[in-house]
Amino acid sequence: MSRRVVVTGLGAVCGAGENVDEFWANVSNGNCAIRDGTRTCAGTDLSVTLPIAEIENADALVSSLGRSLSRADLYTQYAALAGDEAIKDAGLDPQSEAFDPTRTAAIIGTGIGGQLALEQAYTGMLRKGRRPHPLTILKTIPNAAASQLSIRFGFRGPAFAISSACASAAHAIGVAGDIIRSGGADIAIAGASEAVLTYGSLEAWKAMHILSDEKCRPFSKNRRGLVIGEGAGLLILEAHDHASKRGAKIYGELLGFGMNADGVDMINPAVEGASGAMEQALSALTVSDWGRVYVNAHGTGTLMNDPTETKAIRIAVGQDADALCVSSTKSVHGHLLGAAGGVEAIASLKALNTGTIPPTVNYDEPDPECDLDITPNEARERTLDYVVSNSFAFGGLNAVLAFGRV
Amino acid sequence: MADIDAVMLEIIANHAVGLAGTPSRDTPVADLGIDSFAIVEIIYDVEEKLSIEIPFNANENPLGDMKTVGDLIDAVKELAGQGGG
Repeated sequence: MSRRVVVTGLGAVCGAGENVDEFWANVSNGNCAIRDGTRTCAGTDLSVTLPIAEIENADALVSSLGRSLSRADLYTQYAALAGDEAIKDAGLDPQSEAFDPTRTAAIIGTGIGGQLALEQAYTGMLRKGRRPHPLTILKTIPNAAASQLSIRFGFRGPAFAISSACASAAHAIGVAGDIIRSGGADIAIAGASEAVLTYGSLEAWKAMHILSDEKCRPFSKNRRGLVIGEGAGLLILEAHDHASKRGAKIYGELLGFGMNADGVDMINPAVEGASGAMEQALSALTVSDWGRVYVNAHGTGTLMNDPTETKAIRIAVGQDADALCVSSTKSVHGHLLGAAGGVEAIASLKALNTGTIPPTVNYDEPDPECDLDITPNEARERTLDYVVSNSFAFGGLNAVLAFGRV
Repeated sequence: MADIDAVMLEIIANHAVGLAGTPSRDTPVADLGIDSFAIVEIIYDVEEKLSIEIPFNANENPLGDMKTVGDLIDAVKELAGQGGG
């Protein structure tokens, strides 16, 4: 059994927007969501201030979820916000008789899981001798979001978490697509969620010396590192026959999914791994004009990633690479780590549907080693046949998604 | 020792997701709408606020044959050494 897989719903929440419409307005207009943010260690005078892309209205958004989710970690709450939007956008009613919950999957990734719950438990325990909250484990586990969404919507098909650092969402979407393709489900909610803007986590990231101390400037020669964001990006994937039968709106078809490991290094990316994963995803496409293809780059803005990714794109696409439109929307919404591939798949699908290439903002100095057309600072109109979303994780784990029109 | 009745009613009110209104000793446990999460949270709060330890194994039904909020309060009083029997 091999079925076509399409996208019928989108849900996003991050520093660049509380929902998909707001997110896309800011991403396509290049409204950078990066600001200085401070996190403190409760009960101490320790604090850290860094550029981050945070969800400013998080408390109000989370409280709108209702009581059952008040006992979940922030990363699960973000997944629920994006999940509610995606389900509604897809026109699904999980309570209706026509809906088969046993044929619906929830594949929700995360890079870390319940960082905030764990940190609160340890801080209270070590600083104040307080026992950890009894739900600490259930809030922290990386499958909490997959489990809570399956409970929230009553989904009883395959459900689990995927954790591959910054490639978690892309892996989750790709694997969910494979489950539908092979007949294991008709519908899947898939993507990832992340909420690690905590004191302990930011100090740990800072210790890697990989964070920017100002804006995120992917592909720009004066780039100084990545900026951490937070949030969730989830897609509703659906078998094409199933979606057609119920007359669902279709954003695009999940055509290609490439995944592999560099097998080389925990931090430094390898060109061969990235290009290999891209080649796998691109092999499903029939490209007649590379000028009608958009690549949403991993584009972290680190010294290592951007030239490596540039080389990988050149190898995977070949002599037509200069015709491509490439951009890194991380320059606007920051690096959502595990959830990055979720919101970036949404940006890619919105580009496919609107013909607007979102820009790489904060770009002000060409780098000969990053010499693709990275759509600097201003959006561009372009009719697109295909969009590609790259995710290359710490630990050398690569996942690439390719979407096209139905 | 705190007023166990008042403390217990406050804790239960905080976690009784399904209850419309305020709980009293006569409120049936079945009307509280408490799930597995809420039971664990109630036990934690009781232990914290009353400085007692509740012998509880999450694999067992912690409510046993208790029917009303009053039964719960009396069970806690028993553990706190304030039981009537």
